[in-house]
Amino acid sequence: MSEKNNQKKFDFATYWQRFGTISILLLLLVVLAIAKPSSVFSANSIPQILRQSAVNILLALGEFFAILLGYIDLSISAACGLTGMVAALLMRAGSPWVLACILGVLCGTLIGAVNGFLINRTGLHPFIITLGMQTIYFGLMLVISNSSSVYGFPAGFSGFMNATVAGILPVGAIIALVAACILWFFTTKTKAGRNLYALGGNREAAWYSGINVHRHQMLVYMISGTCAGLAGIVLTGRLNAAAPTAGTGYETYAIAATIIGGTSFFGGVGKIPGVVAGGLIIGIINYGMTVLMIDASMQKVVMGALIIIAVTLDHFVSKSSRK
Amino acid sequence: MEPLIRMVGITKTFPGVKALDNISFDILPGEVHVLIGENGAGKSTLMKILSGVYQPTSGQIICNGHEYSALTTKTSAEEGIAVVYQELSVINELSILENLFVGKLPTTKRLGIPVVDYKTMMEKAKIVLEQVGLRHDPNTLVGELAIPDKQLCEIAKALVSGAKVIVLDEPTTSLTTSEVERLHGLIRELKAQGCGIVYISHKMKELHQIGDRITVLKDGGYVGTYSVNEVTLDDLIRLMVGREIKGTYFADESAEELQKRPVIFEAKGITRADGACRDISFQLHEGEILGFAGLVGAGRTEAMEAIFGAVPKKAGQVFLRGKELKITEPYAAIKQGLGMLTEDRRKLGFAKNFTCKQNISLEPYIKESTAGGLGGMLDEGKEQKWAAEQISALSVKCTGPDQMTVNLSGGNQQKVILGKWMAAGSEVLIFDEPTKGIDVGSKSEIYVLMRRLAKAGKGVLMISSEQTELLSVCDRIAVFHNGELKAVLEGKKATEEEIVKISTGE
Repeated sequence: MSEKNNQKKFDFATYWQRFGTISILLLLLVVLAIAKPSSVFSANSIPQILRQSAVNILLALGEFFAILLGYIDLSISAACGLTGMVAALLMRAGSPWVLACILGVLCGTLIGAVNGFLINRTGLHPFIITLGMQTIYFGLMLVISNSSSVYGFPAGFSGFMNATVAGILPVGAIIALVAACILWFFTTKTKAGRNLYALGGNREAAWYSGINVHRHQMLVYMISGTCAGLAGIVLTGRLNAAAPTAGTGYETYAIAATIIGGTSFFGGVGKIPGVVAGGLIIGIINYGMTVLMIDASMQKVVMGALIIIAVTLDHFVSKSSRK
Repeated sequence: MEPLIRMVGITKTFPGVKALDNISFDILPGEVHVLIGENGAGKSTLMKILSGVYQPTSGQIICNGHEYSALTTKTSAEEGIAVVYQELSVINELSILENLFVGKLPTTKRLGIPVVDYKTMMEKAKIVLEQVGLRHDPNTLVGELAIPDKQLCEIAKALVSGAKVIVLDEPTTSLTTSEVERLHGLIRELKAQGCGIVYISHKMKELHQIGDRITVLKDGGYVGTYSVNEVTLDDLIRLMVGREIKGTYFADESAEELQKRPVIFEAKGITRADGACRDISFQLHEGEILGFAGLVGAGRTEAMEAIFGAVPKKAGQVFLRGKELKITEPYAAIKQGLGMLTEDRRKLGFAKNFTCKQNISLEPYIKESTAGGLGGMLDEGKEQKWAAEQISALSVKCTGPDQMTVNLSGGNQQKVILGKWMAAGSEVLIFDEPTKGIDVGSKSEIYVLMRRLAKAGKGVLMISSEQTELLSVCDRIAVFHNGELKAVLEGKKATEEEIVKISTGE
């Protein structure tokens, strides 16, 4: 009898680690379908959700690597806004839009490299460095844009960024999915990817195992910056404008998506598909609240509560699995 | 004279080990009672029972007419017991004044609101600081003080709380000769005031300068208590050592024969930037195991960290089969054929979020990687092969390559760590306290593995704080004292007494 009990005992920690993210995703869709069936069962709903989620997914992908190391990158929101603005200004200045987009993304990579350099050189916690850099990047964005929005892009850019493939896949979502696939390959098939997990699990042990901490940290922040760059381009394309305050608060969504996606805030644990699901969840919440006519300010309240719930669960799960 | 504290028949067992067996110990007013014994003899455990950190399994503690079956940290402090640990517990971010009163700040009422009474604190502080001879402004941050002054601050803290019994745990490890004299002067003064001092030290010379009585512990057992005048240093060393050696794991060849074989590994003049070891040179011949003896902090681990590139070195060269290695970080050391099994397995040894397979493949991956460790692909087939080979070769007890390393026993974790270096084909392996916290059976397995590696032509270096282990495994033993390599002894002929004498600076 007792043996039977043991076998059937519901292990919440294991369940949560495996299916937590997908359960939340399904639950949200069910709630939405009940509350307003047309918001889920219409031809337009899926592209709409994907379009809303693309930027979140891209930023969460970058944030994932910082959190995988047990660190954080608060500057991605500002990096996203700044790179979008750089690309927008280049286009307005007459640069071909493809070149402007590539330079925008590279600008993100450079921003990441600066973060990585400062973190390695000062030895300060990335929280401090990226918090400072966030403010600097937001400031720079205001400076280069003269504090006003930039719009009026080449038709090629607007047309490309707002196209939808096969009726359900917006270009922004395709960019996010391609980035996710590349990073999934990177984390599961390359040595550098594996090393990041070792570093996140135990930095000092990794150093004694021959993993150069500084080189890998630099790599992580460059990946994070590049993802922010991609997000900046997608955001500018979706809005068809670059606002001087674009991206404000997005790092919160990215952190939320990463943690809800099953990444441990303590480092060393997490998977790319989970992060994509996390980004989708954030997108669905935003979309759902919009179609349900919930006040935009209220969305922030929900998001904040979600982060706390997700981190609490994570804490509880990693504690019980350590036993 | 009535003792300040009497500990009677103290026994303490931890799961699987008897740390203390029927120990009796007392402290008289106005005496310095020295407590000696080798690493693991039970000194710290006994003092932790006195300070209430541990509760004894059986026995009695009598202080001021009160009988206790166990003290808590609170009752211990109330009975006037204070311990000054080797790793000082002062808070760097607070001032001297605040440190003295931490946890028991006096308060006074201003407008009915209780506020900290700095005036009373200052008055009391001035008296004790004068007494211990700490002449800094009491408002100085403790973080700005040198180590000896922090120690005085800690003793002053004990006095403020009205301590009658002060335990000093290796108080002179990081002090210069004049600082030691100053501390001894203070101890004599405290004695004169009727305090009882428990003095734990590895420095045998000091014992006769400062001690009144000496109690010797060995392997958790009580050896005896002696008046300082009735025992010589040689007597004490003989009383401390003399553990039985069960089985030996020496090379088949004699030491002379081994010396004639080619040198696999050589370190020349290794000096660390922080001075933790100076001018360390040694050679390792094919087929031999070279041991490193000394007290904790004598520079053994410190030298190995510098050789391995984990900590920067100021000077020194490292040679593998006559070829000089360029080592700036562990990555470079590993690429060139070194491997290190660190002392702190849980903290430094393996990734705790990795399976056995992932941990074992970590080093071969690093060894084959390009671009400073960033380049290269994973290979599931190779991973499987490395893990399966090492798990069977080292007979690791696990459910399979996919079990989390963190869930294995200490001995099996150590084997997984060894497995990753073997899979990487490391030429020279540094074992730092390889059997610490490992059960007896696994210990002998690890010795056999080490000997097998040496026979197969790998270089084996072994740091250990257990002399009996060194004396049953190592063909030669390098003895460290105070950051320098003092002597190299022949393993089969050396004795514990010799090692203790050299490593304590006699």
